[in-house]
Amino acid sequence: MHNAMNKHELFSMITKFSFMLDDIVLYLDTHPDCKEAIEAYNHYKMLRQEAICEYTKMYGPICKYNVDTDNCWDWINRPWPWEGACDC
Amino acid sequence: MWVYEKRLQFPVNIKETNAKLAQAIISQYGGPDGEMGASMRYLSQRYAMPTKEAMAVLNDIGTEELGHLEIVGTIVYQLTKNLSMEEIKASGFDKYYVDHTVGIWPQAAGGVPFNACEFQSKGDPITDLYEDLAAEQKARSTYDNILRLCKDYPDVYEPIKFLRAREVVHFQRFGEALRLLVDKLDEKNFYAFNPSFDTAAPCVNKSSLHDC
Repeated sequence: MHNAMNKHELFSMITKFSFMLDDIVLYLDTHPDCKEAIEAYNHYKMLRQEAICEYTKMYGPICKYNVDTDNCWDWINRPWPWEGACDC
Repeated sequence: MWVYEKRLQFPVNIKETNAKLAQAIISQYGGPDGEMGASMRYLSQRYAMPTKEAMAVLNDIGTEELGHLEIVGTIVYQLTKNLSMEEIKASGFDKYYVDHTVGIWPQAAGGVPFNACEFQSKGDPITDLYEDLAAEQKARSTYDNILRLCKDYPDVYEPIKFLRAREVVHFQRFGEALRLLVDKLDEKNFYAFNPSFDTAAPCVNKSSLHDC
C-alpha cells in the first residue's frame, strides 16, 4: 500500500498512525473494556508497523533497536529530528 | 520521540525495606550528580553538537539515563514500601516523610531539591563534553560511596554495581566523541573557539563538520 508514497508521505503516515495510537492508548488506559477502541488500536498498530517496516527498509532506522546492520552502522548517519532536515 | 518499554534496564527486586539506605540512594535520583541531571544535561546539550557521532552519543546516553532514573526510583520505592511509623521515626526518614509521605521526589541525600543549575548546556561542544566526562566520574564516585553503604544488601548492591559500570562506559564514549570532534578542528586553536558558534577559524563551520 505504501509503494506509491514518497519518503515524506511515508514518514508523515508514521507520525499520524503513531499519534492515533498515542491517543487511543490514553483512552484505553481508562476504558480497558471498550471493544471499539481495541479494534481501532489493532487497526492503527498494523498500519504503523507496515509503514515503519517500509520506511526502515527504504530510508533507514527510526529506532535504535531496529537498525539494519547489513552494510554499516546506519543509526548515526541520517539527520536528527532537531536538525529539521529530515521528514520529522 | 520516546516510547516507553515496560521493563527496567537492570532488574530490581528488593525484599527488605531500608529507609536509611533509601535516603542516601535518592541522591542519584535528584541529587547534584544524579540521573535526573544526567539525562537532562545530555538531552539538552545534544542540539549544539556539531558531529554526527557526538549527536548520537548525547542522544543515546541521555536516553539511557532516563532508564537509570527509573532504576534508582524503583530502588528507593522498594526500599520505602510498607514502612512502619516506627521505622520512619527511627531511621530519620520522618523529615522526608512529612513532605512526600513515601512518594518519590527528586532531591539530594541532604534534602536539597533538584535544580537545573546542577548541569550546564553551554552551546559549546568542547565545554559540554568536558562537563559530561566530569559528570560521569562524579556519578561513579557517588555510586562507589553508595556501594560502601549497601555491601550487606545484595538486592540493592547488584543494580547499583550495574549503574556504576555504566558510568565508566559512558565516560569512555564521551571521551571518544570529544576526540572525534577535536580531530576535525584546527590543532592550533582546539580550545580557543566555540566550534558550534564562532566562525573565526575556517574549520569550525557546522555544516562542514557534519559532512565529514
